[in-house]
Amino acid sequence: MSVSGWFRFKGRSIFSWSFMFQRITGVVLLIYLIAHLTYLSSLFDRTGATYEGMIAITVSKQFLVFDILLVLCGVFHGINGFRIILHEFGIAYEYRKPLLAIFTVIAVAVWLYASYVMYSLTGG
Amino acid sequence: MVEFKIRRYDGEKSYWQSFEIPAKRGMTVLEALYYIKENYDSSLAFRASCRMGVCGSCAMKINDKPRLACETQVLMLGNAVKVEPLDNFRVIKDLITEFEGFFEKHKAVKPYLIRKDDVYAEPKELLQTPEELNEYYIFTLCIKCGACYSVCPAAATLDDYLGPAAMAAAYRFCADSRDEGQRERYRIVSSSNGVWRCHLAMECSEVCPKNVEPAKAVQLLRRKTAFSILKSLLGW
Amino acid sequence: MEYDIVIVGAGIAGMRAAIAAAEKSRKLSVALIAKTYPIRCHSVCAEGGTAAVLREGDSFELHAWDTVKGSDFLADQDAVEFFVRECPVEIIRLENWGCPWSRNEDGTIAQRPFGGHSFNRATYAKDRTGLHEVHTLYERMLMYDNIEIFPEYFITNLAIENGAVQGVSAIKLKTGDMEFFEAKAVIFATGGAGRLYGFTTYSHQVTGDGLAIAYRNGIPLKDMEFFQFHPTGLIPSGILMTEGCRGEGGYLLNRNGERFMKNYAPEKMEIAPRDVVSRAMWTEIIEGRGFEGEYGPYIALDLRHLGEEKIEERLPLIRDAAIKFAGVDPVEEPIPVKPVAHYTMGGIDTNMRCETAVKGFFAAGECACVSIHGANRLGANSTAECLVFGRVAGEVAAEYALNAKPGKISAEFRQKEEKRIFDDLLGKSGDESPYQIKKELNETMDKNMWIFREENGLKEAVRKIRELKDRYRNVEINDRSRGFNTDLTSTIEIGYMLDLAEVVAIGALKRQESRGAHYRLDYPKRDDENWLKHTLAYYTPEGPKFDYKPVTITKWKPVERKY
Repeated sequence: MSVSGWFRFKGRSIFSWSFMFQRITGVVLLIYLIAHLTYLSSLFDRTGATYEGMIAITVSKQFLVFDILLVLCGVFHGINGFRIILHEFGIAYEYRKPLLAIFTVIAVAVWLYASYVMYSLTGG
Repeated sequence: MVEFKIRRYDGEKSYWQSFEIPAKRGMTVLEALYYIKENYDSSLAFRASCRMGVCGSCAMKINDKPRLACETQVLMLGNAVKVEPLDNFRVIKDLITEFEGFFEKHKAVKPYLIRKDDVYAEPKELLQTPEELNEYYIFTLCIKCGACYSVCPAAATLDDYLGPAAMAAAYRFCADSRDEGQRERYRIVSSSNGVWRCHLAMECSEVCPKNVEPAKAVQLLRRKTAFSILKSLLGW
Repeated sequence: MEYDIVIVGAGIAGMRAAIAAAEKSRKLSVALIAKTYPIRCHSVCAEGGTAAVLREGDSFELHAWDTVKGSDFLADQDAVEFFVRECPVEIIRLENWGCPWSRNEDGTIAQRPFGGHSFNRATYAKDRTGLHEVHTLYERMLMYDNIEIFPEYFITNLAIENGAVQGVSAIKLKTGDMEFFEAKAVIFATGGAGRLYGFTTYSHQVTGDGLAIAYRNGIPLKDMEFFQFHPTGLIPSGILMTEGCRGEGGYLLNRNGERFMKNYAPEKMEIAPRDVVSRAMWTEIIEGRGFEGEYGPYIALDLRHLGEEKIEERLPLIRDAAIKFAGVDPVEEPIPVKPVAHYTMGGIDTNMRCETAVKGFFAAGECACVSIHGANRLGANSTAECLVFGRVAGEVAAEYALNAKPGKISAEFRQKEEKRIFDDLLGKSGDESPYQIKKELNETMDKNMWIFREENGLKEAVRKIRELKDRYRNVEINDRSRGFNTDLTSTIEIGYMLDLAEVVAIGALKRQESRGAHYRLDYPKRDDENWLKHTLAYYTPEGPKFDYKPVTITKWKPVERKY
């Protein structure tokens, strides 16, 4: 069964866009999770050499862009997720448009702050 | 003059056909379709009946959004109007789609009042205050047009998904103060092609021509179903 | 396919009949055939309410008297007396089945005033009574295993052999094939014939299919010349603005801003019966006191003084429709309306048990004429009639089917029917467009068979209809495909309408009096001496043959009808 039905945007409202991004960021986070666990499993060799090598690459100014994008996915998925959980309990459905706006603003704000922190930590 | 581009299907192949319509103020898309049928090409097939937005026959995709053709004004759509059959339904011919499955799903949720004292021969008046009526009234307005089902991503990716309309119908009865069949219905909708598959795209509420808000009905149904399951697990 | 009972038409009457038959015996197999899905029927358009004697202060006697007086004494009074006693139980039954009737503060079912009724007995569900009744009946019908629904089957003929009904033939629209349903009993609940007119409240699908088929098979049609013109049809679509608008207190104003009804029905004013109000409005328009608009003259229906809250509570559909289809918000402006063709009082001749001249063939609802409504129908009585006589037809047909022989449609009939539709109609070439014929039919009906009729206009209508029938023999259907051929079904419908138009026009020409909704400028008085009788029209190849039968009077002798 194809999943292309999740990604229709012609003539759709912002709620469909939010739904689409929730799917996309979810997939990204899943891929990241697998990568992250693989990454951490390199510690099994007890020397930490592979781990240190990977840290040197990934925690750097050049890699910052990917981190910022990753944090965007995580923050969006999480905060939008809160909104969805709220509605799925049947709460505040009448205010869905304002709620979408508010939660998006919160997500962007958190993301900008997190990006700033990461930027300063990588010596920028 | 407005150009109408219609996606047609003759049973074998799908193709686009264009017509020029002299549009007047107040002319609806349905009237335009009848104009085409009676003056240009009488093989154009579409469903229509009441022309006043209560029968639900004429739901179709107009400029990428599903609407009732009888309620859509031509001149509000611009110079070019694109008309296609609803998504997520099998096309039978031109703008006519297969609704058998849709009505089967509606039937599956037991959309009728279930009461222990159901006596056909001697009915007795049941009381219901205006407040109790308002609890579920908005959900009785569903005309089963299929617009919600056509924009639902869950329906697009799973053929068996009950769909917003069927679940709104289930909720309409669960919220009716006269009904005694809630448990039965919760069992039916509590499945992976029922309430649990809705992940809140909410497009259904945006396109419903009668403002029934099926997404709200599904969420309220989820809440009731979840509590019902919880209660039965705890032996209440 | 074989069934015990076949019901054609899935509106309020058809679905009620199916439920009644299925309840009578679970062993009976019932087939419900309709040309659309059941909830797309025309009954969903009903708005105002369903009349029933439910409360203290009301009585069956009063309801019956209102109905008989409203019918201008053409109604059969024994049938009316039976009818009014059956309405209340149907309301309660629907309520038990889930119908969301509007309620009083104490939880009891509410009722509102309606035209022609001397007690507030119209039970209503906001102003979408038809929508809710249809959905309730449909949902209830899903509970019965012995009812099988056949949506999108287009009926073409009735099979009558050896003086009894054997079944029906219908085109399965999806595939285009002809299907034959053999049955012990057949009920027609196919609705009226409003699309004869151009300006009408009817859905596109109401083309008198059952009426024409019964007529062509020798079953008489009764009182066809009586067409009701509802006072308030929205301009320009003809969409119904329910009588409830006036029942809730709306005013009708001419261009001078006056409530002109005081000159025509000083006691009841706007809630006089529909024929009285329609004639009043049309007189105002003809005499130049209507407003001028881009679609012609009109009358204003003013609801502004009711206030937004009351309109939203009691008349939400009206407000929605006026905004969507006429661009007018009733809270701020008056609605432009004019009289519109609305109901077919006439129909297949039946008795009180829905039986017709052919054994095993029954009719109920708008397509039948018992006659309850006589020469003019009171508002809120039609949905009530469909419920009551739908039930009667279902039960009587079930009783009949329990003892009848199975239907058998001969091979000869099957061949003839397939040839008639697919070879003779679909296959032939010609030079007439069926849609052009329909357009001209609508024009002549709107002009000559409207509220005020007179001899020359009627004669012209008859001549034109005969000319159109001739031209119809030469139609060519462009769409030659089989699957979902709406061109073919539209053309067959136009054929039905032409046959019915002839019956209506000649019947109106022959009836030289004015009674109820049939008003002759050349014979403006009611003539009880010569015309207190029902018109019966029988099919002959040269045109309808007319006969008459007396009205059943039990209690109320005809008196002058004043409001």
